[in-house]
Amino acid sequence: MKSFFHALIGIILLLAVWQLLALILNKSIVPAPAETLSLLAEMLIFPPILLAAWQTAWKVFLALLLVMLIGLPLGLCLGLSKTVYSMFRPIIMVIQAVPVISWLSLVIFAWGIGWKGPVFIAFLSLLPLSILTTVAGVRNLDNNLLEMARIYRVPGRRVIKDIYLGSLLPFIAAIVDVSIGQAWKVILVAEYLSGGSGLGVEILRMRMNIDFPGVWALTLLAVFLGIITERLIKKLLGRLSHQWTIA
Amino acid sequence: MDHCLVVKGLSKSYDSLPVLDNWNLSLGWGQRLVLLGSSGAGKTTFLRILSGLEAPSCGHIDNYCTKIGFVFQEPRLIPWRSVKENLLFVNPKVDYAGILSRLRLAGFEDYLPSQLSAGMRQRVNLARALMSKPDLLILDEAFSSLDLSVKSSIMEDINQLWLENPFAIIAVTHDLKEALYMADRIIILSPRPARVMQDIKVDPGPERSFSSPGLLQLESSLIKLLCSFQSEV
Repeated sequence: MKSFFHALIGIILLLAVWQLLALILNKSIVPAPAETLSLLAEMLIFPPILLAAWQTAWKVFLALLLVMLIGLPLGLCLGLSKTVYSMFRPIIMVIQAVPVISWLSLVIFAWGIGWKGPVFIAFLSLLPLSILTTVAGVRNLDNNLLEMARIYRVPGRRVIKDIYLGSLLPFIAAIVDVSIGQAWKVILVAEYLSGGSGLGVEILRMRMNIDFPGVWALTLLAVFLGIITERLIKKLLGRLSHQWTIA
Repeated sequence: MDHCLVVKGLSKSYDSLPVLDNWNLSLGWGQRLVLLGSSGAGKTTFLRILSGLEAPSCGHIDNYCTKIGFVFQEPRLIPWRSVKENLLFVNPKVDYAGILSRLRLAGFEDYLPSQLSAGMRQRVNLARALMSKPDLLILDEAFSSLDLSVKSSIMEDINQLWLENPFAIIAVTHDLKEALYMADRIIILSPRPARVMQDIKVDPGPERSFSSPGLLQLESSLIKLLCSFQSEV
């Protein structure tokens, strides 16, 4: 309850600063919070915006799913073998260093305008984080437990399920925590620059129509959706990981 | 076969640091052997080689035991798994209830290791080792972190279980009382690189207790022997 009040105070402070900026600056550039919220409410009964929100949301989910499905096993392999890690480290560094804008140019050439570009770019942006965090998790494993499993000749499948997954859980939670917000941001930017549909495309359309309150309302919608996605995925992860948690 | 374990010319060194030097010993089925030596002498290294975690630099161990139980110095229990799950992790086909009740852990099956006392965690460690009815039980300074009352009660349990169904035991310790209570044979090791200095038969009589006159007498003679070794070194 105490933390709820603290969060409430934070939100009120944010709204107050926003209102102050709306009063100081040009209202067409920074609309007041009440105005933006009422515009958002109007938009939410407008089917194309809802469809755009859905189109962005599934791209975020797909990118996160790919990051988890590919990043975690790769991180596991790299964490287990120093040789494989040394081989892949330069590739990961290159992926990290290539600017998003270069990936964008490449995917537009490769696939044109569409959903593949934003998903691919979000996937590439988040992949190094998931791999390197998993590697850190594997290196943090309790060697005593692994030795115990070796002495008792416990089959590898059971060792991965009972020791590896349990030890990696805090690291997986950290990956999800950081990735959700990042995925929304990257997908929106990629849609804005190369997407065929989605909230990023709608923001671009509003900007071209010089509809700044519309941009603010869509941004607010993206923030709400980001928070809701984070809560949903964390809840799902909590249920899936229940058996590995120390009550 | 008379012996369950035969060690021949076993040596181990890490780079240029010799740890074990030319060990030759054997262990009969159901025999209780304690390796007694100072900390850092290489006792645990021997157990790591015996359990297959490390390879010897030279020599070899002929191990005829099919089932080995290992009681670690620290319990090594999976923190997010209950007592029952920790036991089933090692062998999902074995009935764990019997050994838990035998070691006074009945009713704690669903507890997590963090919810148990240090002594209870060590009992779970022991239950895991004994669950599959091993031919050889390895104890790696298994009681060093426990207070005397918990230590003696667990050692009594092991003694009772051994009397019911004798299994070979190799224990390492630097505690003389512990060694005398558990052993049929005590091997005294030199400081590093560890060599077998003396192989002593222990026969305290039918009853084993920390205060039995036989053990107290053996203890004083062993202290004299150890002191004489120290002065030689």
